[in-house]
Amino acid sequence: MSEIRLEKLRKEFDDLVAVRDISITFPSATVTCLLGPSGCGKTTLLRMIAGLERPTSGEVYFGGQRVTHLPPRKRNIGMVFQYPVVYRGISVYRNIELPLLEEKISRQERQRRIEQVAALLGLEDSLGKEVSQLDNGTRQKVAVARAVARQPRIILFDEPITNVDVNAKFQLKRAFKELSRELEQTILYVTHDQTEAMTLADQIALMQKGEIVQRDAPRALYNRPNDVFGGWFLGNPGMNFFQQELVDGPGGPELRSPLFPGPLTVEGGQPGTRITLGIRPEHVRLSPEPSPGGVAGQILRRAIVVGGQYLCTVEVEGLRFKAKVAPAVGHVLKPGASVWVTCPLEWIALFQPDGHRMDARLVAGEKIR
Amino acid sequence: MIAAEFRHISKRYGRLAVLQDVNLSVEAGSFTVLYGPPACGKSVLVRLLTGLEQPDSGQILLRGEEATHLPPGERNIGYVPQSFALYPHYNVFDNIAYPLRLSRMPKAQVEPIVQRAAAMLKIEPLLTKTPDQLSGGEKQRVAIARGIVKETEIFVLDDPLTGLDFKLREQLIDDLKQMQESLGVTFIYTTSDAIEALMLAENVAILDQGRILESGPLETLYWQPQRAQTLALLGFPQVNFLDGRLEEEAGGLWCQTPLFRFPVQLEGDGQASHPQAVRAAVRPQDLLLDGPNGEGVLTCPAQVLLREDLGGEMIVYLEAQGIPLTTVVRHENAHLVAEDRVTLAVAPESLFLFDQEGARLGRGAPR
Repeated sequence: MSEIRLEKLRKEFDDLVAVRDISITFPSATVTCLLGPSGCGKTTLLRMIAGLERPTSGEVYFGGQRVTHLPPRKRNIGMVFQYPVVYRGISVYRNIELPLLEEKISRQERQRRIEQVAALLGLEDSLGKEVSQLDNGTRQKVAVARAVARQPRIILFDEPITNVDVNAKFQLKRAFKELSRELEQTILYVTHDQTEAMTLADQIALMQKGEIVQRDAPRALYNRPNDVFGGWFLGNPGMNFFQQELVDGPGGPELRSPLFPGPLTVEGGQPGTRITLGIRPEHVRLSPEPSPGGVAGQILRRAIVVGGQYLCTVEVEGLRFKAKVAPAVGHVLKPGASVWVTCPLEWIALFQPDGHRMDARLVAGEKIR
Repeated sequence: MIAAEFRHISKRYGRLAVLQDVNLSVEAGSFTVLYGPPACGKSVLVRLLTGLEQPDSGQILLRGEEATHLPPGERNIGYVPQSFALYPHYNVFDNIAYPLRLSRMPKAQVEPIVQRAAAMLKIEPLLTKTPDQLSGGEKQRVAIARGIVKETEIFVLDDPLTGLDFKLREQLIDDLKQMQESLGVTFIYTTSDAIEALMLAENVAILDQGRILESGPLETLYWQPQRAQTLALLGFPQVNFLDGRLEEEAGGLWCQTPLFRFPVQLEGDGQASHPQAVRAAVRPQDLLLDGPNGEGVLTCPAQVLLREDLGGEMIVYLEAQGIPLTTVVRHENAHLVAEDRVTLAVAPESLFLFDQEGARLGRGAPR
């Protein structure tokens, strides 16, 4: 079995706690992306799992075996780094073959594995070439092939496509998707690029300040972040946030916000607390015509973003936020134009004063239904 | 009013022509982006504006006045260079304050200006540190702060956000745009990132190999590009190109591509020789998955190669008869690409037509 289990894993550098007592299990045969902003501890965590960094305290287990103090070569892992680690002066075939020589397998088996992994990565035509003849993206594929062909139980990737050109990124992402479908290893993949994580991972472990704040499948994490940080970090751009005081209302705790035509009941809320509402820009609806459940606002500015969509900065009674709308919708909403803004209740996330997701429900009053 | 102007600017480094007869006017109070692939000449162009380099020929005007050979210190331009060097013996506060003190600003005024710039760049906790204590991204932010504190109305920022953390870039783009708008100052900004250019530019000049291909309001260049290269550079994901042939048939003009054939509407003087080899282009968002059906809509079967999840939308990489294609779907439509085999639909009017040199010939015609 190749599950990775961490027990209160901690790393301190002088007065900085880079990894803060992480306990988690990464199941066998899954791809988990460690995602977070620079400095969140993801690379340090990966390096401790690889054996390249000594933990300050805590343990690392691979399939039940304690490996915490074993050097990398005794851990039976494959690693792919930010820069392709390949042997110069020899062919691609030989590069992939060398680590296999230490395994007790026949020459035919070696050849079979090399050809199989080369096919998976689109390296068949490069097998005879010497690595310095190849571009960076192809060299990185060779590095991946080397790590995979050995069939280690665990493969670790440290931002492998960060330094690779656009075309190679596409090819490597595609190859990685294929690979993860075929492979049974446990894969950990560090990235600061949320698109990579959303595209490649079975599970994303979102990190902030040395901790794993949430671990979920990509869409689940995107749609239901556990805290304000998750709502903010994921998304281009992330969630809009509004602070609102809860007051006593006829139907229970209530909030009144310029974003809605009438008061909303917050079932599960506490009157007197200041909560945070979050909604993603792509869920805010804009229209030139009045719509039920909406309020009047104004377009401050707009910009063309991915796919010709418009990211509009909208103002409603002093509240400024962003809406991401389809090209046809955004095209007619020029800066200065009046607009009708609707924030559908099903897309609103509620967070407590401490930033954690609330277990609460928004219920519309008459005006919004 | 014109804040800055380039007239017939040329520059060579040895035998390499880095700028060739560049003409450009930058309106006062505008956010103007010089955009093009790496090594297109945009950094050299802005360095000429700051006076740190001299053109071989041509004229530079600042605020309507001849400035071609004016020393940098007399140009009164705020400058964030691409490879910045912070003063290693000054702390962050003093690095940012430097240009203000150089212009002999009273001490009481310096402090709030530096604080405001530091707040905007989110480097307040670093004010007492020295450059050797900072990360690459932090140093970059200090350099930006130092460039924007200057009491002037013209700012030049040369690819200031390159390499920064994705989320930080997002925030700084917002802050820079907000700052420019609220102060009404002129920003001349270079980048080779399509997303940055689209987010920031009010006006954009597309540079390629030392020449300006097209320039004007961003909205105009985006929706009505006159050059194939403009269409290729100004958009994300990148536009789809198809090789085609312009032919006449039964009194009308048609474009034949490997994937479909469509009627053509010429523009300009309405003249184009035929048959001729042409390039058709369609933006990813115009390759539809739940396309309109009916007369004139072009369809073709395609195979999904990769789905890239951006959160709110998905970029889908496809292949049709060996030709790579890209489309984008908003996430509520993700179910349309659940299967690997899809049918793409395009309205002919969404197709642009360019000649082999990249000049716009026309568009697809509706039936």
